[in-house]
Amino acid sequence: MLYIHHTSCISPQKTYGGEALSFDKNSVDGKLLSIEPDYSGIPINILRRMGKAVRMGVGAALPLLKPGQPNGIIFGTAIGGMEDCIKFLNQIVQYEEGMLTPGNFVQSTPNAVASQIGLMTKNTGYNITHVHRGLAFEMALLDAMMMCEEKPDAEWLVGGVDEISAYNYNIERLGGWYKTADASSENLFTSATPGSIAGEGAAMFRVSGKGTNAIAAIEAVETIHTKEIIELSDRWKEFLDLHFGKESPELIISGDNGDSRIVPFYKAIQETTPAGADILRFKQFSGEFPTATGFALWLAVSINKLNSLPDSAFISRRGIASYRNAVIYNNYKGEQHSFILVQLP
Amino acid sequence: MEKEALKLQLKQQIIQFLNLVSMKPEDIKDDEPLFGEGLGLDSIDSLELIVLLQREYGINIQDPKEGRKILVDVNTMVDYIEKNRTK
Repeated sequence: MLYIHHTSCISPQKTYGGEALSFDKNSVDGKLLSIEPDYSGIPINILRRMGKAVRMGVGAALPLLKPGQPNGIIFGTAIGGMEDCIKFLNQIVQYEEGMLTPGNFVQSTPNAVASQIGLMTKNTGYNITHVHRGLAFEMALLDAMMMCEEKPDAEWLVGGVDEISAYNYNIERLGGWYKTADASSENLFTSATPGSIAGEGAAMFRVSGKGTNAIAAIEAVETIHTKEIIELSDRWKEFLDLHFGKESPELIISGDNGDSRIVPFYKAIQETTPAGADILRFKQFSGEFPTATGFALWLAVSINKLNSLPDSAFISRRGIASYRNAVIYNNYKGEQHSFILVQLP
Repeated sequence: MEKEALKLQLKQQIIQFLNLVSMKPEDIKDDEPLFGEGLGLDSIDSLELIVLLQREYGINIQDPKEGRKILVDVNTMVDYIEKNRTK
């Protein structure tokens, strides 16, 4: 069991800091860009060199470092600082393979976020970045679960981040992963067209193997690679049987991204879930990105305090005052699937 | 190009290359030290400035000791650019 003690999230919605949370921001031109804070905790000379992914990751992590140093930093990102990576590669061409500036290169690697947090806080503990595309965040969670089993007293900073970069957006759009004509968070689930809307964000969690004062616990994380709906349904049934028996989870948090090619997977999950579960969709708030399950986990952990979630976000809602458990199901590009079971106090 | 125009252009380039987003050219004084107490730049910035001189003015600084004399403030950089620019 992995216990969550603190959480922080920078996303396209107002989810960061002590301000009133809200979920009313819609996409512009098919993109949901994060609402970034002023990053007052990051020294200006360091901040000016940071790309967006690094800024968001470090910015989301800093509030969770106030209780003291964690024993290590475990991170997940699929693309890391892609914008800086492309700037660096373009410089190689522009400067005809001559002298290059170090700034973009330093920020361009996926492990720049976790290492920057380590450098800023002088944390010399375990520092690792998982880069398993649409399962990068889940891999970070699994790593943290194993670390917590090994050292229950230790505390870990676990997180995920990905950014919308011009390069990545264009490549993914050309690949058909973003909607073209009807790209909007407002009609995401009614458009019935291929592709989704682009999103980004950073979610951080302070975790340990001890349940004292925990705000949530992750009981299980399961990842699957398959393109077969039947195989997914079977694994989902097994997962529910194992953890709930004949009962139903109280809340399913669905990563439905409105992509007509992917929707059948989500429908299959819905149809094989025993009646009685509320179902909440979140990609109209976060957009689609490889580590969007970080946002979903933040949502699950925070769900009982969120009064501003619109009813329209729920496919079904029984009006439970306080959820005791939630299962996140996410599907990335029709082949990377994850189930995350969250227990709430 | 007149010296004052070159100073303004260089300040704009310093802001762009070093991503000094909150600064304007008029915030950088001609004789303000670039490193240490002045603008507070560091060793990574010095590499960015060397690349700036190479790319924008065709100046190659090979000797680090030479770089220390050139990258003192805007005045010293402009003097060096005027004497050594190839583009």
